[in-house]
Amino acid sequence: MSLQSASHRVVERAVLVCLSAVFAAAAGIAYTYSLKDDLGPGAGFFPFWLAVIGGVLALFLLAQSWRGRNIGDDGEAQWPDRPGAFRAAALLAGLILSALLLEPAGFRITAFFVTGALLVALGVRRPVVIAAFALVASFGLFHVFYHWLKVPLPVGPFGL
Amino acid sequence: MDTLAHLASGFAAALSPAYLAYAFAGCVMGTLIGVLPGLGPAAGTAILIPLTFKLDATGAIIMLAAIYYGAMYGGTITSVLINVPGEAASVITCLDGHQMAKQGRAGTALGIAAIGSFIGGLVATLALALIAPPLARFALKFGPPEFFALMLFGLCLVSGLAGRSLAGAGLMTALGLLISMIGIDPVRGAPRFAFGIADLYDGLGLVPVVMGLFGVAEILITAEQPLREVVRARLERLLPSRDEWRRAWGAIWRGTGIGFALGLVPGIGAIVPTFVAYVAEKRLSKTPEEFGRGAIEGVAAPETANNAYANAAMVPFLTLGIPSSPTIAVLMGAFIINGLTPGPFLFQERPDLVWAVIASFFVGNAILLVLNLPLVGLWAKILHVPFRYLAVGVLLFCLVGAYSLQQSVFDVWVMIASGMFGYLLRKLGLPLAPLLLGLILGPAIEKSLRTSLEMSGGDFTIFVTRPLCLGLLIAAAAVLAGAALKLAPRELRAA
Amino acid sequence: MNSLLKHVAVALAVAAGAGAALAQEFPTRPVELMVAFPPGGSTDIGARVVAAIAEKQLGQPMVVVNKGGAGGQVGWTDMARRKPDGYFIGYLNLPATNTVILDPERKAIFGPDAFVPIINQILDPGLIWVRADSPYKSLKDLVEAARKSPNTIRTATTGILSDDHLAILMLEEAAPGAVFRVVHLEGSAAQLKEVMAGNIDVAFDNVGAVAPRVRSGEIRALAVLDPERSKFVPDVPATKELGYPTVVSNSTRGIAGPKGMPAPVVAKLAAVLKKAMEDPDHVAKMEAAGLAVKIMVGAEYERYYRETHEKAKKYVEWARSRQQR
Repeated sequence: MSLQSASHRVVERAVLVCLSAVFAAAAGIAYTYSLKDDLGPGAGFFPFWLAVIGGVLALFLLAQSWRGRNIGDDGEAQWPDRPGAFRAAALLAGLILSALLLEPAGFRITAFFVTGALLVALGVRRPVVIAAFALVASFGLFHVFYHWLKVPLPVGPFGL
Repeated sequence: MDTLAHLASGFAAALSPAYLAYAFAGCVMGTLIGVLPGLGPAAGTAILIPLTFKLDATGAIIMLAAIYYGAMYGGTITSVLINVPGEAASVITCLDGHQMAKQGRAGTALGIAAIGSFIGGLVATLALALIAPPLARFALKFGPPEFFALMLFGLCLVSGLAGRSLAGAGLMTALGLLISMIGIDPVRGAPRFAFGIADLYDGLGLVPVVMGLFGVAEILITAEQPLREVVRARLERLLPSRDEWRRAWGAIWRGTGIGFALGLVPGIGAIVPTFVAYVAEKRLSKTPEEFGRGAIEGVAAPETANNAYANAAMVPFLTLGIPSSPTIAVLMGAFIINGLTPGPFLFQERPDLVWAVIASFFVGNAILLVLNLPLVGLWAKILHVPFRYLAVGVLLFCLVGAYSLQQSVFDVWVMIASGMFGYLLRKLGLPLAPLLLGLILGPAIEKSLRTSLEMSGGDFTIFVTRPLCLGLLIAAAAVLAGAALKLAPRELRAA
Repeated sequence: MNSLLKHVAVALAVAAGAGAALAQEFPTRPVELMVAFPPGGSTDIGARVVAAIAEKQLGQPMVVVNKGGAGGQVGWTDMARRKPDGYFIGYLNLPATNTVILDPERKAIFGPDAFVPIINQILDPGLIWVRADSPYKSLKDLVEAARKSPNTIRTATTGILSDDHLAILMLEEAAPGAVFRVVHLEGSAAQLKEVMAGNIDVAFDNVGAVAPRVRSGEIRALAVLDPERSKFVPDVPATKELGYPTVVSNSTRGIAGPKGMPAPVVAKLAAVLKKAMEDPDHVAKMEAAGLAVKIMVGAEYERYYRETHEKAKKYVEWARSRQQR
């Protein structure tokens, strides 16, 4: 009995199609780096054949998926419920936001606000706790890395 | 008997209060460095080199070496607790170690890792002390062709990591190998698949990818579950059960052997021994399906191999002056800055120093055990922090870790992308380990092939005229054939 | 030379007084010193020693930042894009930096004018060495053997288009008929291992990497690729006295900044770093590591930079057209 739902199948096939396309593109690009060289395999040799093998395997799995077979272990195949999806999406968004703000705004400001926002998104309601955690996470971490470990973290406007 | 006399005087020096203190400090700092992501042992050791300017040569080296294998253990702690390998070498421990943590057995996992590491390190150091020269000569037999064959053999072991689908594992391996080819190629010295982005010229860094695939993906997946269910089992079992002990014991000894043998080969890198030990254990196990779900051997084997490797890598370093890994290269820098050149002549000119350092390895391994075992319970408590705070903390941890590698936001993006990809893969049930294996072995395989051909002037027979190389190639073929015979019929029937 | 003069003129003209004031204030926060290689290498160690001494005089921390990868290209690319305000400077490794620019396949986004050379720290001459029991007892033996059986002697470099690679080509040029089978290894440690294992017959590297082993007799050095002998290995003949005066190759480590740095800032950094490099502690540590300190400041370093670039051009082109690169 298959545990996979229909939407799961759709995602599965979409991913496999994308992978096949990536492999095809890689094979094409690899071909332009010569396949042969005076001494043996050229710069394009391995990438080309790996892309071909990968593409074949991806198509094979796609065929299997089409015929309703399981292609992987189904440990974690369920899709999340609304609140779960929100939490995961929020965490991801937080990370992405941090990456975007890190250099322009500096580490401390970025970490402070993102940490606070994420805690709220995950359901923490006590402002004191949020503020304290965010403070330690941003200014505290900065101090440890910058001053003790001598690893420079980005400094933004106002020297923060 | 001469050796034992040397060793005895080495111990006398190593156990002196000053050197003991340095070793202790080194272990503590090393563990912390290992726990902090991104700061791999190499960078951490390099940061501390100026510190050691103030100490005498022997003291400085003892401390740096302690930092080195202390960091190995520190990486384990985060692997088990939050599925983020503190340094890339600990990634295999995530597979079963974190599962054990989710089952409330974090203490057991950390404990067995500490014990296994101790035994592995001890045996390796003993061998180093007693039979280093012949071991070093053996290490020299591994030239580029043998290296190529060995890496190929390692790649063929991927079949041992396949879950239900061999094709899926193959797909992931091919993908990993392909991704590893981003960057400067060993043939022309020109960038491949870089599309003009300078940050890609060195490829996707292994550390950000691993942090994303394992750490970030884990957080995302856990976040989806209803928060109530995320509470870890309250009853922390700190000691392994009788049954677990029995199984782990064999794994420890096999891990020691594998880690030690591979540690003698310069340039292997710390991850390969852990992979090989893990796969070997899975193959030999009567319950292979438990691997990846919290099998204690899945932690004992790689952890022991890891430490045996780290200590064994000192053999080519001290006897021949050949550093096996970037971290040991940093250690060598410390030697050189103090006016010492590791190699056969150092053994003769400064036996006092060399033997004190060797003795301090014994001492250091013991210190690590004593330091970490009691703390295991404390570490395990971290998992009791409510997920809301833990998740944010871990992500921040990963953010800083990825950035601090090379002060580059690009690495952070790589980690994020890997995290998203890892999340997808887990949802689809495709195995992560083969992807990782391809990513790690790809450059090594290609480079060693190229160097071998440069050596032979384009002659491919170099791979079959050298006996060790030929043997390894045959072994690789055998492994692949064995896996194909076992799994392919099932595969084709299903298709 | 022209571009530097132009920059200096503009800077001085724009704000003579303000410029001096800027230099007085600079730096007001930590300065990052970039090394384009992973931690632990000789450039990195040299950087850490200098930084530790210089920051005392600078008044602000000088933090060593590693940006390794692609043989240094990642780090140099990053530096070329940085703001030229003096807070980010980094090491240039000549001729490696030059060859990255000159090899069209590397697609470097920076050219020789992308950097302002500040001060040079180390000049490490090239060295040819073999195993202690090798049949080649002198450079003459080696060259004759390379002539007799061209493309058989396995010769190691420390990387594609490294200074060692170019040196091999220089030797082939100076000794027509001699052809070496070039094998690219990654770094001195790999060379040591492969020569000891018998997989490589002769290695081209630098004095700093192997001086102690030459002195102890562990390995045999055939020649120093410099007009004069090196004080670290005084018994090794120089190529000039052996009859190959054109075979001069070395690797230099110097500090530079992105182009457009104000002249007073450059001058202040140069002064601080020069003092740090002349510090006896620094010299002692470098010499212990077998690295010769050769301080070149300002115009002298700029000139050396240009000359190295021109010289490398010829050999890079030759390397690319050669069958076994």
